[in-house]
Order: sequence, then C-alpha cells, then structure tokens
Amino acid sequence: MDFDYNSLMAFIIFGVTIGVVYGIVALGISLIYSGLDIVHFAHGEMYMFGAFFGLVLANNVGLPYPVALIGAMILTAILGMFVERVFYRRLTSAGGGYTVAGMGMIICGFGMSVALVNVAYFIWGAEAEPFRANLDYIPRLQFAGDIEVPESYVLTAVISVVLMAALHYFLRHTKMGLAVRAVAHNKDIAYLMGINVPLMISLIFGLSCALAAAAGVLIGPMQSVQVEMGYLMLMKAFAAAVVGGFGSLPGAILGGIMVGIFENLGAAYISPSHKDIYAFLLLILVLMFRPSGLFGIEAKVKA
Amino acid sequence: MNIMKSTFASLLVGGVALASTAAFAGDIRVGITMRMVSENGQKYGQMMMDEIKAINDSGGINGNMIKATLMNDECKSDKGVANANKLIFQEKVHMLIGSTCSSVSLPIVDVTAKAGVAQLIPHSTNAKITQKGSEWVFRVPVSGRYYGGVNAKYVGDNIGKKIAYICAADAASVNDCAAMQGQIKKQFGAEPAYIANVQEKEVDFRSHMQKIKSMNVDGIMVAALAETMARALMQSYEAGIGADVRRIGSSSASNAPVPRIAGDAVKGVFFTAAYAAADQRPIAKLFNAMVKEKYGIHAPDHDFSQAYDLVRIMEQALKSTDLGLDSASLKADRTAIRDAIAGVKNYEGLASGPISFCAAPTPQCRDGNRTAVLIGYTKGGENFETEVLARVTMPIEFGLE
Repeated sequence: MDFDYNSLMAFIIFGVTIGVVYGIVALGISLIYSGLDIVHFAHGEMYMFGAFFGLVLANNVGLPYPVALIGAMILTAILGMFVERVFYRRLTSAGGGYTVAGMGMIICGFGMSVALVNVAYFIWGAEAEPFRANLDYIPRLQFAGDIEVPESYVLTAVISVVLMAALHYFLRHTKMGLAVRAVAHNKDIAYLMGINVPLMISLIFGLSCALAAAAGVLIGPMQSVQVEMGYLMLMKAFAAAVVGGFGSLPGAILGGIMVGIFENLGAAYISPSHKDIYAFLLLILVLMFRPSGLFGIEAKVKA
Repeated sequence: MNIMKSTFASLLVGGVALASTAAFAGDIRVGITMRMVSENGQKYGQMMMDEIKAINDSGGINGNMIKATLMNDECKSDKGVANANKLIFQEKVHMLIGSTCSSVSLPIVDVTAKAGVAQLIPHSTNAKITQKGSEWVFRVPVSGRYYGGVNAKYVGDNIGKKIAYICAADAASVNDCAAMQGQIKKQFGAEPAYIANVQEKEVDFRSHMQKIKSMNVDGIMVAALAETMARALMQSYEAGIGADVRRIGSSSASNAPVPRIAGDAVKGVFFTAAYAAADQRPIAKLFNAMVKEKYGIHAPDHDFSQAYDLVRIMEQALKSTDLGLDSASLKADRTAIRDAIAGVKNYEGLASGPISFCAAPTPQCRDGNRTAVLIGYTKGGENFETEVLARVTMPIEFGLE
C-alpha cells in the first residue's frame, strides 16, 4: 500500500477507538490484580455477559442505548459480585499471587470461564445477535483530509474516557475509593484500620465487571454479540494490561491504546490477515525490553 | 464340567451373534452429520428427521424402515470425521449424509471412500469435494465452480471489474473467493483490486474497509460464513463506503443470519445460491409455507431446500434398490445404494435446476446441480426480502479447465 498521510491518521484514530475498549477491559483485569493479587481468567466472559445484558435491555426491553449501557453495567457488577462471593471468596481469602490458593484461583477462573460460556449458550444460543443501537443523535467526527469517524466509534471513545475519569475520581477522591486502595495495598493493615475488606473485594470485582460490561455494550453495535466473543477480547486486554504494566491502572489504558494502534497499523501496512498477531508481538517486545511493562513496578512481590 | 463350560460359551457366542444380527436386520441405517449450532441448523436437521419419519409412516422403503442417526459436527472437521467414523464403523450405516460445511465434508470424503459408504452431501460448495475422485461421493448443491462463473459474469457485465475481496478462512469461502477471482480474470482480464484473507470468525474489518474505501472500487466481495459476512457488511457502511459500491456475497449470504444481523446493510447485496425463497413455482411456495408453519422460519434458505431435496433423492434411490439388510450383506448393500444414487437422473424438486448423477467418480458426474440462481436482497432484518435476478445453467465442464 502506498503511504498516504490521511490513511495513516485514519488507522491511528481507529486504533485509538478500539484501543480504549481494550483499555477499559484491561483496567478491570488490573484492578482485580492490584486488589486481590489474582489474574481473573473469566473476565472475557463478564465482557460477553455485559454485551448480552445490554442487548436484551436495548433490543428486547426497548431501553435507550445509554440506559441499557448503565443497566448492563449494574447487572454485570451484580453477577461479578455474586461469582466472587459464592465461588472465589474461599480462595481469595486464603491469599493470591504465588500461593497454592493463588494457583487454585487461576484454575477456578478458567473453570468459571467455561461455565459462564455454557450458561450463555444455554440462555442465548450460539448464533450472533445484532445489537441495534440508535446512535443518530451522535455526530460523525470529520477530520481534515476526509477522515470520517462513525458515530459508534465516537461514542466508544467518549464513554471510555468518561468511565476512566469516573474511576479515577472514585479511587482518588472518595472515602470508599481510599478504602479500595488500602485493601489493594495491604489487606491485613486495612482490616486493622477497620475497613470491611470482604466488602471492598466484592466492590473491586463489581467495578471491574461493570467496566467489562461497558466494553461489551460499546463493541456490540459494531461487531454484533455472541457467546464466543470474550476469548479474543480477554487476550487483547491481557496484552494491554501486560504492556502497560500489570496492576497499573494508567498503564492498562495506555497499553490498550498502544495495542489498538499497533494492531491497526500492522494490519494496514504489513498484513491485515494476521491482525491479531500484532498485539502479541507488541507484548513480546515489551516483555523483552521492559518485563514489568511500561508503568509496572519493577520489584513488586506478591504473596 | 468342561462340557457344561463349552456349552455355556457356545450359547453365549451364539446369543451375541444372533442379537447383533437381529439388531442390524430390516432397517436401512442412515447416518447424518451436519452443522447444527444455529437455530437454522437445528431446524433443518429436524426437518430432515421429520421427512424421514414421514417416509417410515407411509410404509418405509419397500417395506423397510429408515433408521436415521443425526449428529452435530458444529462445522468442525475433527468432529465431522469422528461422527463419520462412529456412524460408519459403530452404527454400521448403509449410507452417510453430510456435511453442511465444506471444511467438514472434504475430510469425510476420505473416510467414506476408504470405508466404501455412499456420501450424499446436502450443502458444501467447495469444488475439491468432487475432484478427489471418490466413487462414493455425491453433491446435491451447486458446486463453487459454477457459482464463481455466474457471479463473475454478472459483476463484470453490470457492476465493474475493479473488485475488492474479503475472504474468510473456511473452505467454502476460500473456494468461492478463488473461483470468483479466477473467473473475473478469465472473463474480463481484471486482477483483484484488493484481497484480504481473514480468519473464519473475524470480528473487526475496519482496517480493510478503510483501505478499500481509499481505492474507489466498483464492488466488494465478502466470502465468509453468515455471521462474519454480516459483520463485514455492517462495517463497510460504518467505514463510509457508499451503497454505490455493490456488495457481493458468497453462497452463505443465503443464510438467514446474514440479513438478520446485517439489517439494512444487506440491502443490495447479491449472491448465487441453489434456492430462492422468492421462487414463484408452486412447489417453492408450498415448501415456504410448510417451513414457516412447522419450523417458524420466515424464508427458507438453500440449506433447507437442499436438505429437503436430499431426502427425496435418497428416497428415490433407495426405492430402486434390493437390499439384503443383514450384517452379511452390509458391503453389498452399501455398494447397491451408491449405484442407485448414481442412477438418479433429472430429479426436479426445489433446487434451482435438475439434479443428475452418474457412475464415473468425476465432478461432471458427481456435482448434481449445475443451475445457480442469482438473488438480491431488497430488505434486511428479521423479515428480509429477496428478488431473483437471474437463473443460469452452466456447462458441465465449467470451471474444470
């Protein structure tokens, strides 16, 4: 393909719009990791469930898209808290990281992933479902050089930024956010300070799953919704989280955007047929030169 | 004591032999493996079983019942081959029906050829299926080699020659894409403007669409399975590619999930298939009404029509055979069924054209239907509508040069 500045800008802009979605899923993964010292392998399924909740609320119940988005986030948060409380609590309370319980948690996450996929198959079947969202009230963005960004991409970028800002505000400027950070820093000391640690852990899970749901509802109108949609998103979000530095919230966002741009440029200028490889190439490159990721803490020891 | 032991052993062996013979006697065993992951797939699988039951209820085949075993291969080649092996070697079926995906039917051809079991294919378009030279394979649907020729002629004459291609990795789409490119080049001397080979279940086509948009092409061919195709069509409009750039679908554009998922983005898309729900023949109208009433399908696609036609062809072939239907005659029965199917000539049912087979293990003899119907979508969504643009019968040798 001949080099063309406008095309390059278009690929970067589209890369950013998908990248912020990777970013908000990665944000949830990083939030759980920083809070509980575990990697949640069923997070892709939370993203999928969120998309289906949004679809049901928008298409079947007839709610406006923004309301469906909020509804899906709430429902998925409840699902996430339920899963944490009923299935993960015993393991997470026994510790995470490199402990036996931590390994058990990883395996439990895989099991939960399979279970949730099958539950979704049972409820919604295997066929992809169209997510009809009326986005006519959102303007198409017009950039110089005939670059036009469709409504759904504009909405994705705007909502993702709003969610990130809201999460940042919650964690940095509210008492509950302070409690969440305290639990993430050290659960034992948080207990001694009188913080309800189990409640905060549930809250972390709920928040993370709500973010995944938002990503699912944002992607739904572009790619339709189906049971198997979670796996690839999980892989990309993991790549984003690792590139940004596992456990780092700003890193997750930046990693997501980098993955989005990198895979879009790779698809444009190398080969579009191998688009999914580029995210992992970036991951390998970052791990080679900066194993802790761009914003990761070099000497963080999990126990 | 020894006499008692040997008597008991003899009785046991004899009993087992008698029981197994009894289990195999009398029924014509038919194995079916097909993709039934979607609602559509489950319903045409059910329709096939219902039609077989109707044959049995009306007296069977020359007094013998058909015992059909239906298995889901999920359009996965490993599952399809496992199903075929189970049906052939454990169930000891007399004939095999399947699959509905080219990537599954292709490896099963080797299994049926080795085992000596007739394989009747309800829906798989990849041209290679009948080019393997198996004596045991028969294709009810239209081969991709014919579809490619019809599509290319229509596109070159009516739309233009600057065509971009999005080709998914499943066997049918790979074949459809290659056939179309080959025919456009052969008939009009035009090279593809752009080719993207994407994964079977690709979800994000935006990079491709941006590149295609900058090329000012006359048309975009999307060759992919239904859901992937629907996503590509939607994203082509999102990328700002106008309706003046015509969208050409591969044969799976016929499947109901395409208009259902793509919605308005399917309007104007055209494709070749073996059956049009907009067909005005009385037989087609009756079939449409039956499928709507019994299975709740708004407009049956060619997966439905071909499944129905296949049962009728099987019935016709089986009625002309004289089967032993015991364990000793299994091999001879399988051969007799193969020869009977090869004897089917000018079957006229729902299909776009007459279906004929003959004995030679060549594509000319085993690609039963040579008539493709060119269909265009006039409305998308759940209650989609189509129109018939053309009906073309291809020369028997077409695409084999």
